[in-house]
Amino acid sequence: MTRLSQRLSHVLLTFGKELRESLRDRRTLAVMILFPLVVYPLLSLLAAQVALSRDRTREARPSLVAVAGPDGSRHDLVARIRERPKLLTLIERGSRDDVAAGRLDGMVQLADAGASRAEIVYDAGREESREAAERLSDVVASILPEGCAPRFSLEKRSLAAQASVGGYLLSKALPLLVVLMVLLGAFYPAIDVTAGERERGTLETILSSPIRRFDLLLGKVLAVTALAALTGLLNLASMSVTLIQVMRLADPASTLPVPWTRAAAASAVVLPAAFLFASLFVAVGAVARGFKEAQHLLTPVYFLSIAPAVAGAVGEYRLAGLAAWIPCMNVTLLARELLLGHAPLLGALAALASTVACGCAALAVAAHIYGSERFVDPGPRERRFRANSSAPTAGQALFLYALAFVLLYFLWLPLQRRSLVLGLLASEWGGLLGLVVLFAVFTRRSLADLLRIVRPPPRCLAGAALVGLSAWAGVAILSEWVSPVPKEVIEQLRRSLIPTDGSRGLWATLALVALTPAICEEALFRGPILRGLRTRAGPVAAVALTGLLFGVFHLELSRILPTALLGILLSLVALESGSILPAMLAHFLNNASLVVLATLRVDEKLAAIGATASALIFVASAVLTAFGLLVVHSGNRQARL
Amino acid sequence: MLEAAVILDSAGKEFGALRAVVDLTLSVQPGEIYGLLGPNGAGKTTALRMLAGLLQPSSGRALLLGLDADSAQAKGRMGFLSGSTGLYARLTPRETLQYFGRIHGLPAADLRRRISTLAGWLGLQELLDRRCESLSSGEKQRVSLARAVLHDPPVLILDEPTAGLDVLASRSLRDFVGSQRARGKAVLFSTHYLAEAELLCDRIGLLFRGRLLREGTPASIRSECGATTLEEAFLKLVDRE
Repeated sequence: MTRLSQRLSHVLLTFGKELRESLRDRRTLAVMILFPLVVYPLLSLLAAQVALSRDRTREARPSLVAVAGPDGSRHDLVARIRERPKLLTLIERGSRDDVAAGRLDGMVQLADAGASRAEIVYDAGREESREAAERLSDVVASILPEGCAPRFSLEKRSLAAQASVGGYLLSKALPLLVVLMVLLGAFYPAIDVTAGERERGTLETILSSPIRRFDLLLGKVLAVTALAALTGLLNLASMSVTLIQVMRLADPASTLPVPWTRAAAASAVVLPAAFLFASLFVAVGAVARGFKEAQHLLTPVYFLSIAPAVAGAVGEYRLAGLAAWIPCMNVTLLARELLLGHAPLLGALAALASTVACGCAALAVAAHIYGSERFVDPGPRERRFRANSSAPTAGQALFLYALAFVLLYFLWLPLQRRSLVLGLLASEWGGLLGLVVLFAVFTRRSLADLLRIVRPPPRCLAGAALVGLSAWAGVAILSEWVSPVPKEVIEQLRRSLIPTDGSRGLWATLALVALTPAICEEALFRGPILRGLRTRAGPVAAVALTGLLFGVFHLELSRILPTALLGILLSLVALESGSILPAMLAHFLNNASLVVLATLRVDEKLAAIGATASALIFVASAVLTAFGLLVVHSGNRQARL
Repeated sequence: MLEAAVILDSAGKEFGALRAVVDLTLSVQPGEIYGLLGPNGAGKTTALRMLAGLLQPSSGRALLLGLDADSAQAKGRMGFLSGSTGLYARLTPRETLQYFGRIHGLPAADLRRRISTLAGWLGLQELLDRRCESLSSGEKQRVSLARAVLHDPPVLILDEPTAGLDVLASRSLRDFVGSQRARGKAVLFSTHYLAEAELLCDRIGLLFRGRLLREGTPASIRSECGATTLEEAFLKLVDRE
């Protein structure tokens, strides 16, 4: 047997063994077969029947309505209402209070005699009242001036083929559902083949046999891919039938067929998505010491993977440009376009290439983990990092991030909408720095140790200053090339943060927009988050993940790329200098540069420059930033994070 | 003298500041059982993991039959078993043995014959088609032993293989290991049950805090320390440290 065929045989053997084991696991079988084929269709049909029955009951019941106003004006309307006894029952006397108290479903308040204004009063919090408002609207709209009749008799005719209608209906719910099911299908098998193997004590056995670790890994990833893909396909088929059944339930006369061709085309996304999630989950599961820890580690990854998929499903995005390259989002979009029957070729290729490339990258990370000694025994390294270290754990870091995110979304953003300055100050000083201070107090850490507030070597400060003064240009140009931030967003940011009406001076703006984030955002992101992630990940992964979390925290899709890039650079500065202060300086100078440019409106002139000048500025910025990082690196001879 | 089948040559292993094994040199000849003894945390498992190709020595060398211990060729000629070894719960012993046999490249017919032979030796006939999760600890360890010797390796590395077993199961395992010596296998056997080592091993090495305190036959170590049992000899040596 040649070496290659032997390796292939090892991969296939492991694939078969893992598949057989997983298919004997009740959890996997439940997620893969029981839920899609039995539970979801049953629940969907049941829910549809309940909803339909409720709608029919509501439709069958006439709404209780009244008309208020001068008798002369009421006459016509009352007559029209009485012509529709199945829909509307007229109550002679009624008031707004009756509507509010639920005694009436709705009423029409007419203005004085001769006036043409009518007001429909209803309670938007009650379904019956909303229905009454609809019915009253139709009646009011049907009253034409005396002697007038409608000019057209209206009839709507759809030209869409039945398959298109079916595809359209499926495209509303199915893409996200399939991606979610593929994710779920990969979840337990990935844990089982990694942390489960460690927990059952079979890892040492297999690693001491003559199988290469990469071949072992590949066999496992392929098995998880197959299980996740099967889950996705079963769901796709089952939900296609179920959705069409629901449609037929709503309209028994409907002859809507299941659009199998389009559903089959949409299944093209299942395999690449399954490969991506399998590689990603196996990589994460490989660092866990047991089943429970793997669940804890994978849950945030699971939700982070869902977020772009949901954005793709509910947002008005097309499968083009950056959207076609964003993992998870692009497969949802591709599935939708395939169901609609008009997937663009380039977008489809970009989505598939990006998904497979990300899957390969995750596989490479997993291979790195499988090849390391930490994989055999994750204990020693963890202990080594923790010894003499004030760094929080990776779990604490992610928890802090999640908490800050929840506070931002539910507390600080609503506050910012009421008062921008107050909201910003509260979210930065309270929601970020305050959170870090509380964490330090509760975990009995010194804030200075937690944040690594140590005096940096002067060269590190100089390098950080260079990064802060130069990076903004390169980041802005790169972002403009890859995913331009809409002009309205830029203008809105400028208006809200840098008012030109003289209501806030330059110094106050610098304090609000440059100094505050430099202190507060760095305290959280380059403090516990970067340091916590570094206890479980290598420097590259920790920096990349911190940057990504920083980007996502800004809660705007178009700003994720520039802020994530900035986050990566600032994380590098903190990591290389061994102190948070240079990162704060770089952040301050970066934001301050943008404030000054915007105040002088130089940024508008820069936006109008040609492609060659942009490229030159980008190169200059990249060179200066890289030089700045090099200076930071060479300036610190102490231990890095 | 035969060339040693197992060699640790000035091998050391560090985990950060922790020195788990320090400058350890030992060798095991074919047809010899070498006992690596020591209390918990002495470095036995780390030393055996280096020889099983699971860990790379930070310094020195770990060799099996003259090959680097982490090479596929060396792993193909070694059987590894530890007290914490588990089995694939949802597979049967037959499926487990088939998987490992094929990983070792055994032809299908040879594999069937070998499984049948080992089932006879280790009393596994009734267990072969039951799920591993339904087996008792002793039955599981017998299946693990069959898995470790399935490819008839010239070297056996056994890390506390009797941990957690009852007296009968321990005895049966020791008998099997003894029979492997008779077949010319080199066996490296770690345990913290000193009486067990005295019964089984031709030579022993006493490991403490990662260092080899003494090496020799059980009788020579006892007499050198003026002790009646190996346990007494070990305690005296530790006291001197």
